[in-house]
Amino acid sequence: MTQLSPVDIDLSDDSIFERGEAHAAFATLRREAPVHWNPGGERMKGWWDITRFEDVLFVSRHPEIFSSERGITMFEPRDPNEVNPAGAGNGIMLITMDPPKHVKLRRLVNKGFTPRAVNAMEGHIRQITNQVLDDIAKKGSCDFVLDVACQLPLAVICGMMGLQKKDWPLMFELTNKVLGSGDPEYQTDVPEDQRGTPDAARITGQMGVMQMFGFMSQQLEDRKANRRDDLISLLVDSEFEGDKLSDTDILWFCFLLILAGNETTRNGISGGLLALCEHPEERARLQADMSLLPSAVEEMLRWASPVTHMARVALEDTEIRGQKIAKGERVVMWYPSVNRDDAAFQEPNRFDITRSPNDHLAFGIGEHFCLGAGFARLELRVMFEELFRRFPDIRLDGPPERLRSSFIGGIKHLPVAFTPER
Amino acid sequence: MKVTVNQDACEGHAKCQAAAPEVFEVRDDLSTVLRDPVPESLRPQVERAVRLCPRQAITISEG
Ligand code: HEM
Ligand code: SF4
Repeated sequence: MTQLSPVDIDLSDDSIFERGEAHAAFATLRREAPVHWNPGGERMKGWWDITRFEDVLFVSRHPEIFSSERGITMFEPRDPNEVNPAGAGNGIMLITMDPPKHVKLRRLVNKGFTPRAVNAMEGHIRQITNQVLDDIAKKGSCDFVLDVACQLPLAVICGMMGLQKKDWPLMFELTNKVLGSGDPEYQTDVPEDQRGTPDAARITGQMGVMQMFGFMSQQLEDRKANRRDDLISLLVDSEFEGDKLSDTDILWFCFLLILAGNETTRNGISGGLLALCEHPEERARLQADMSLLPSAVEEMLRWASPVTHMARVALEDTEIRGQKIAKGERVVMWYPSVNRDDAAFQEPNRFDITRSPNDHLAFGIGEHFCLGAGFARLELRVMFEELFRRFPDIRLDGPPERLRSSFIGGIKHLPVAFTPER
Repeated sequence: MKVTVNQDACEGHAKCQAAAPEVFEVRDDLSTVLRDPVPESLRPQVERAVRLCPRQAITISEG
């Protein structure tokens, strides 16, 4: 492993993540500069990198000090007039709201996401999973990300919102544009010779946001005219303490759900399979006793940490681990790092499907704890149950291709091979 | 000690019940505290529940 000095580590260089080198950088930061100032650049403001478990716990649990309203990614332009696709919806989406507004909206929308609501979906999720697997069953090889991992979460979230099947590929494409805007593969609105630049990323993100918003507006109009048995119709009619949700609230919530609900879980599934393939003994242990799966899923989530960071802005002068943080400064919580902090996990670099306790923070914690955690856990469990039942010898058939992103721990392509079903 | 669950924040994730089954019971997506007061001997388990509750819904007060 190369030794970097903390001052040389710039986590906004998203090629670090594409090359799979982030863990080495995080280890250095945890050890030498757990609260690390990155001065930013000409256009981007600076921020604090937070890499230790206890500190992320502290930040997450104090939304009155650490605000989400100015955006939850590391990027904030120095010029407030600059268009920032990463800042789309700031202050008006559930994930970028502070209490007390956040508390109220969360109570309004969380009914469909409670453990009971999630459990009721198991049969449906198993059915979708098997339909997805039917499509690869005879092939003997496939791109696990495109053919399997992305399909289940996409179907679950689009189904929940009542989107027609013909629109699902568009939702996949737009999610990639918004969340993977920095990756040349998704910069299809930009001429080929200009891809890979910061401007290409900005344009791609902006186009994705606009198109998604346009699409959701149409959906909302349709549901207002004709209620159906879906989440959008439910939101149109929901009321909390006498207040109805505004159109803007609904649109931004749908936007958030499509993004949050599909890319993350996709990477949990792909990252989980990759981890199992890279640890054959643990995988054999699981396949010999599938009752270990719920605990294995937690370890896959810890290991893969599909969301790489979330950010906050300090609302007052404060301190983290003795380091002064000034009002207005941005702090960035690095989940893959805290999930391998040896102060919180024994032998953190060992992939152990029976790890206990395993209090990972892959879903965050506190005020903004992932609303869809129950769905994500269920989707992972059902997927691996059905996958290993039908294709027990599924194996890697080439190297993974990682997403160029400091926000989502993504895998774009994962070639696999397996004995086809007859 | 007295233990309370903020019913507005709790979403039934049941981490509390796993950490301290003698103290918390989760039914219909909501946690209830089974004892009042909660014996001191259960403090470590309850503190673990406070730490793990994803929604910060649990508080311990004295008395
Ligand atoms: C493995 C999959 C997933 C991971 C790793 C993940 C991770 C996260 C994280 C870390 C947060 C916390 C944000 C913060 O503290 O600022 C979050 C919030 C959120 N997630 Fe997930 N998520 C996943 C799947 C899902 C799914 C399937 C859905 C929807 C069905 C979803 C919907 C949301 C929403 C709506 C929020 C915002 C909650 C709030 O602000 O109150 N997520 N997620
Ligand atoms: S862990 Fe917290 S949110 Fe979950 S049931 Fe217990 S009190 Fe409620």
